[in-house]
Amino acid sequence: MRKTAPGAGAIGFMLVIVIAIAAATMTKAAFAAPPAPNGGFVWKDGPEVYTKVCGYCHEQGVGPVIRGRALPPVYIRNVVRNGSRAMPSFRIAEIDDESLTKLAEYISAN
Amino acid sequence: MASKYIALPHGVSEQTFDAAISAFRGVLGESNVLVSAEQLAPYIKTMMPVPDSDHAPSAALMATTVEQIQKIVGICNKYKVPVWPISTGKNLGYGSAAPAERGQVVLDLKRMNRILEVDKELAYALVEPGVTYKQLYDHIAERKLGLWLSMPAPSAIAGPVGNTLDRGVGYTPYGEHFLFACGMEVVLANGEVLRTGMGSMPGSNTWQVFKWGYGPYLDGIFTQSNYGIVTKFGFWLMPAPPVFKPFVIQYQDEEDIVEIVETIRPLRINGIIPNAVVIAHALYEAPTKARRSDYVTGSGSISDEAVRKITNDHNLGIWNVYAALYGTQEQVDVNWNIVRQAFGKSGKAKILTEKESAGDPAFAYRAALMRGDMTLKEFSLYNWRGGGGSMWFAPVSQARGGETLKQMSLTKEILARHGLDYSGEFIVGMRDMHHVVDVLYDKTNPKQVKAAYECFDELVSTFSAQGYGIYRVNTAFMDKVADTYGPVQRKINKTLKKALDPNGILAPGKSGIRL
Repeated sequence: MRKTAPGAGAIGFMLVIVIAIAAATMTKAAFAAPPAPNGGFVWKDGPEVYTKVCGYCHEQGVGPVIRGRALPPVYIRNVVRNGSRAMPSFRIAEIDDESLTKLAEYISAN
Repeated sequence: MASKYIALPHGVSEQTFDAAISAFRGVLGESNVLVSAEQLAPYIKTMMPVPDSDHAPSAALMATTVEQIQKIVGICNKYKVPVWPISTGKNLGYGSAAPAERGQVVLDLKRMNRILEVDKELAYALVEPGVTYKQLYDHIAERKLGLWLSMPAPSAIAGPVGNTLDRGVGYTPYGEHFLFACGMEVVLANGEVLRTGMGSMPGSNTWQVFKWGYGPYLDGIFTQSNYGIVTKFGFWLMPAPPVFKPFVIQYQDEEDIVEIVETIRPLRINGIIPNAVVIAHALYEAPTKARRSDYVTGSGSISDEAVRKITNDHNLGIWNVYAALYGTQEQVDVNWNIVRQAFGKSGKAKILTEKESAGDPAFAYRAALMRGDMTLKEFSLYNWRGGGGSMWFAPVSQARGGETLKQMSLTKEILARHGLDYSGEFIVGMRDMHHVVDVLYDKTNPKQVKAAYECFDELVSTFSAQGYGIYRVNTAFMDKVADTYGPVQRKINKTLKKALDPNGILAPGKSGIRL
């Protein structure tokens, strides 16, 4: 049987992502997000959220470029939570407050 | 005294709601019960032309386990508090994450997001409601399982459970998603947990491989309904083919939809073209390449001349047929010859492959969708009018050329009367076509909001009067569409509701169903 084991697989997945992101972005040491209460998916850091959510629009000419503009983190947080015109809002259940803080810092600084 | 809540459930006093909230906190903890305006703001934004306050929730609950959900429905029954379950909450253009009715409590299952099983040999997955397509895509890629997803255009941020339960569609050979669903776990309103099909039998290992089980097939009543809360969901995945050959066929007149559908129907029914084909109008694809303001001035709908200029400037057909072949090289070669011969007969078709379309953003995102890759490029549609207004008008058509032309003409005429553009496509079918039109408008412009509402209302009325049913609709128009299917269907839906949810606590109003 070559079924995937959720527990072991999730750890392997985490390691690869952490290594890949560390190598690609050389961000500050990320602090760990709280573990998911049921062993489900949690964000590792700001770059991961940016790549897996924001980048699909903001790096593809669908939404405006938001990196490299030193946008204030508080502004970014506000737009993510409330949405803006066609941009959907993102809930705490999707991007937790701690991850949003890291995301806003990442976008603002990069 | 002002309420401490931004809304209350219909017929529930603040005192009673206090007690319910306290009980919810007892189950979920303080931080997983959201009641403040700031916390609830992301649940309120919709793209519909009605005040967002009409769909404001009273609270949101973030549950992660079946046991929590069982306790929550117990509390809801006790206090007669309605819950509106959501999964990833990205039902954009259909109501987003907001409840059907003001004051309902959103039961947010986004954090219930475990991938429970992916079987490489039998090619299926079993997931929880909060799993996104992106999460599953990465899981499969990381483990090199060689399986493809089928997903709708909001791919990365949406998920298979919510999309399939709302009977959404994708673009691969598995594009009619509910056809490929296999086994659900459902928390019923009385707190019991049902596993459908083979899942009801203790020790069975066929839950995700045999859909029907024994006795009545129940899975269907948990789609587009409010009879239970789906907490686990099985579905089939497509083994990655050795060869994938996407292509686009362009036609230059709106009347050519007749030839397109007549040509493509036998290819689809006979399996020559296996995937959920898209026949996209120029204005569905134009936003990936062009700005409306470069072609239109004034407040009305775009002219046919302007659309023609866009197609000339940006290498688009008036109709753009996106399809793909999948299989071994030999299979693809044989089927490619059949496709070319079929579309080559009239001399009207321009057939382009990946090679001729290199660098074309519309082709690139369509090809990605047809192989189950993540892309949100279709959201370019939202830049067409700007302002964040969108409703999907989705009537079903026979896969007959004359019918699709009639539906397109009727839709375009009604939209134009309200100053709106026809951004439509026909998708999926072998025998049917999902005619999907994005009714785009500027939600920051009160005149366009009013026009969009009246337009959508007229579209539903006019289409139903001609016998054209709508297969999925936003939360502002659910009752109107339910009425178009007649009193007997509404009555049987209500009978089921009374039997399965006698206090009416689960998503009242979904698909027009309530006590």
